[in-house]
Amino acid sequence: MPSAFDASNPPFDRLTQQEIGELRAALDIGYLRPGEAVLTPGQKAEHLHVIIKGSVEVRDNGTLNAVLGPRDSFDSRAVVHGAAGEDFVAAEETLCYLIPRALVLDLIARNPGFAAFFYSEVSAKLDAFARAHRAESVESVLRARVREASRGPAVFLDGHATLTEAAARMQDANINAAYVREDGRIGVVTGMNLAKAVLLRGLPLDAPVREVCHYEVVEVDAEDFIFEALLLMTRHDKRRVAVRTAGEYTGFLEDIHILGLVAGNSQLIPGRIDRARSVEDLAAPAQDIQGQVERLHRQGVKVEQIAEITSDLNRRLFVKLFELLAPPAIRQHGCLMIMGSEGRGEQTVRTDQDNGLLLDGPVPEAELAGFREAFSGALARFGFPDCPGNVMVRNPLWSQPLDGLVRQLRLWIMDRTPEAAMNLAIFFDAVGVTGRTALLAEAKSAMAGMMRGERALIARFANLVESFETPALGVLSTLMERVGVASDAIDIKKAGIFPIVHGMRAMAMDRGILATSTAGRIEALTEAGAFSHDFGRELLSALRVFMEYRLRAQLEAVRRGALEQEALVHPAGLSAADRDILRDALRIVRQFREMIRSRFNLAAFG
Amino acid sequence: MHRGALWRLFYRASLGDHSYKFLFEPGPPDEAVALDCETTGLDPRRDDIVAVAAVRIRGNRILTSERFEAIVRPEDHQPGAESIKVHRLRQRDIADALPMRKVLPALLHFIGGRPLVGYYIDFDVRMLDKYAMDLIEVKLPNPQIEVSALYYERKYGNAPPGTAFDLRFDSVLRDLGIPPLAAHDALNDAVMAAMAYLALRDMKARGARIPRERAGQGPPPPTGG
Repeated sequence: MPSAFDASNPPFDRLTQQEIGELRAALDIGYLRPGEAVLTPGQKAEHLHVIIKGSVEVRDNGTLNAVLGPRDSFDSRAVVHGAAGEDFVAAEETLCYLIPRALVLDLIARNPGFAAFFYSEVSAKLDAFARAHRAESVESVLRARVREASRGPAVFLDGHATLTEAAARMQDANINAAYVREDGRIGVVTGMNLAKAVLLRGLPLDAPVREVCHYEVVEVDAEDFIFEALLLMTRHDKRRVAVRTAGEYTGFLEDIHILGLVAGNSQLIPGRIDRARSVEDLAAPAQDIQGQVERLHRQGVKVEQIAEITSDLNRRLFVKLFELLAPPAIRQHGCLMIMGSEGRGEQTVRTDQDNGLLLDGPVPEAELAGFREAFSGALARFGFPDCPGNVMVRNPLWSQPLDGLVRQLRLWIMDRTPEAAMNLAIFFDAVGVTGRTALLAEAKSAMAGMMRGERALIARFANLVESFETPALGVLSTLMERVGVASDAIDIKKAGIFPIVHGMRAMAMDRGILATSTAGRIEALTEAGAFSHDFGRELLSALRVFMEYRLRAQLEAVRRGALEQEALVHPAGLSAADRDILRDALRIVRQFREMIRSRFNLAAFG
Repeated sequence: MHRGALWRLFYRASLGDHSYKFLFEPGPPDEAVALDCETTGLDPRRDDIVAVAAVRIRGNRILTSERFEAIVRPEDHQPGAESIKVHRLRQRDIADALPMRKVLPALLHFIGGRPLVGYYIDFDVRMLDKYAMDLIEVKLPNPQIEVSALYYERKYGNAPPGTAFDLRFDSVLRDLGIPPLAAHDALNDAVMAAMAYLALRDMKARGARIPRERAGQGPPPPTGG
């Protein structure tokens, strides 16, 4: 039986062959009666339990937090930190492997990969388990095809074209190298060749380009592997090689393109946004912003960094689009603002557009109407889905003069519907991206003024946290399995992200904190003594865990084309280690909801 | 099958080697030993043990970390091709093994006076008796706990006449939800028997029964193997 212990089940897959041997030799098997209490809070555990069959309920003061099943293990806190945080009770006849505490501690000391599972901070745990994928990224780049990284177009110049003409053609095509036809030969000229010819050799600008190009063209086929191209570049000491597709030159592969495969090409996107001269020119970089999310994630970049890079690029895109589309009056009198997750800088895969326009006075109605339609329409074409709550520039409610919006905010504050509270919440996250950003600051301080000291108003606002349950992991699945329905999905956005984000909004509003990112709010609230430093860290940790799992679900949904499932996570499809991390994160959310509930006395709302 | 007080008295008196008197002392309370032998055949008189494994059970724990495992070299004749297929122990595997007369003393010390748990444990005990008679002129006096009997009692004990019984080990494991391990490995078989024993003992204590399949919804007919 000990030989049947599944060593491929995380975290045990981190153990060496020899360590697995030691573990198998030291295992016992325990039988738990239905209803048997295995651990109680504060209790130290002599064994780490790994369930063979049956199920164990995890309870906290009577609330069911999770149901553990086969391959799940418990309780790392009781083993490592010497005190269980929750009650563990067998729900049915259950068999468990028992791994002695001394051995677990010994393995933790010897094997850092295994130790990561026992970190107390959930996001650190998640990082450690995500890291396993990272080593694959360089490998996968080398095995990519040249065509995946190379860029066109191939521009052909005649040998007698002047240096000025050559430079202009390359500039127009936004490329750094061009082909030169001369006497039936093909040569290559680069931007650097042109610059050196003029600056160093003092050639006149109308000198023919054939005098500065070279004819030793190093080339690869578009179907070749990147590593073949890299070998050629190293051997010939070139930073770029010519690319042929089906015999024809189709462009170049440069070292920076290869870098783009490794690190994403996010560093190239701002330049392409800046160079755009029409809305159509922005479509490609807008597409690239979305494409790099997947690439960055595949390469193991942390979700908060992906969100930061993405929101920075999105903001540049919005600014450029605004510049291209806004008529002078709107540019002079308006402030473009982004709100919701975009404002908090927490959006990765695009879910909706939350944006608006603030004006310092009336502008010509026809111009405004045209701009509203053009701006929201362009974003929709770029792949930003319309906002279901209609929080968009297109909606006159969200693109109006300051005094109108302030009046609207007051109406929402007086209105007692959840929709009104949601609008306030979205606006509370607003950030001005371009134009007269002082207008937004004014609107926000007006809103803060109306809310300040109004405990009942803030409590009503906070009560949105109660919109969705935070389910216990595994409860539903067990239930559904019993009635034969195999759906166990958890909506991670409703169960995890929203309660944290909105709870922090409410607390920030209560204390007049103006930071818009959830991380920033948590930091400010910790400073202000709203909760302990440790709890603040745990909450941020939990948020990042949810964002990571959500991003995975979103990318999966994009792959399958089933966008309505973008926030659904199926615990049964996760590894035991992932389930364990998710369970911890959900526990933190429940604690936080409890805190919000008592802080704002939400029980009064029923 | 139970070995009565008179029987125990007789064998205790006739025990050849008195250093084995501990076999007649009751074992530590709430302990038992699950045991399984792999043999060259099914006839205790003619066949031999090729592997034996035992694990102690203490309370609700199966102490696999303190297991007893041995591969045994048959002394009289070579294992037949049939049993090689079943146990996947080839003559080469058995070559390094010890003969039963060397294995038995350690096994008996491991078992002590504890009750023996197994699936058709009587067969295993009869196999061991053969060697024990040679070694210390005694049959194993340990109480026996028969897993299939506990299972029968929980499932068919109140069955109406005419009910078809199915006491196959696979069926026991399936009804109890015990994951099947590679069978015909002595240690795995002993551990599975121990798991079944703990589950059945607890069900008995709680008065829980195993539901019987209704007619027509029984398990599919065995397809060999």
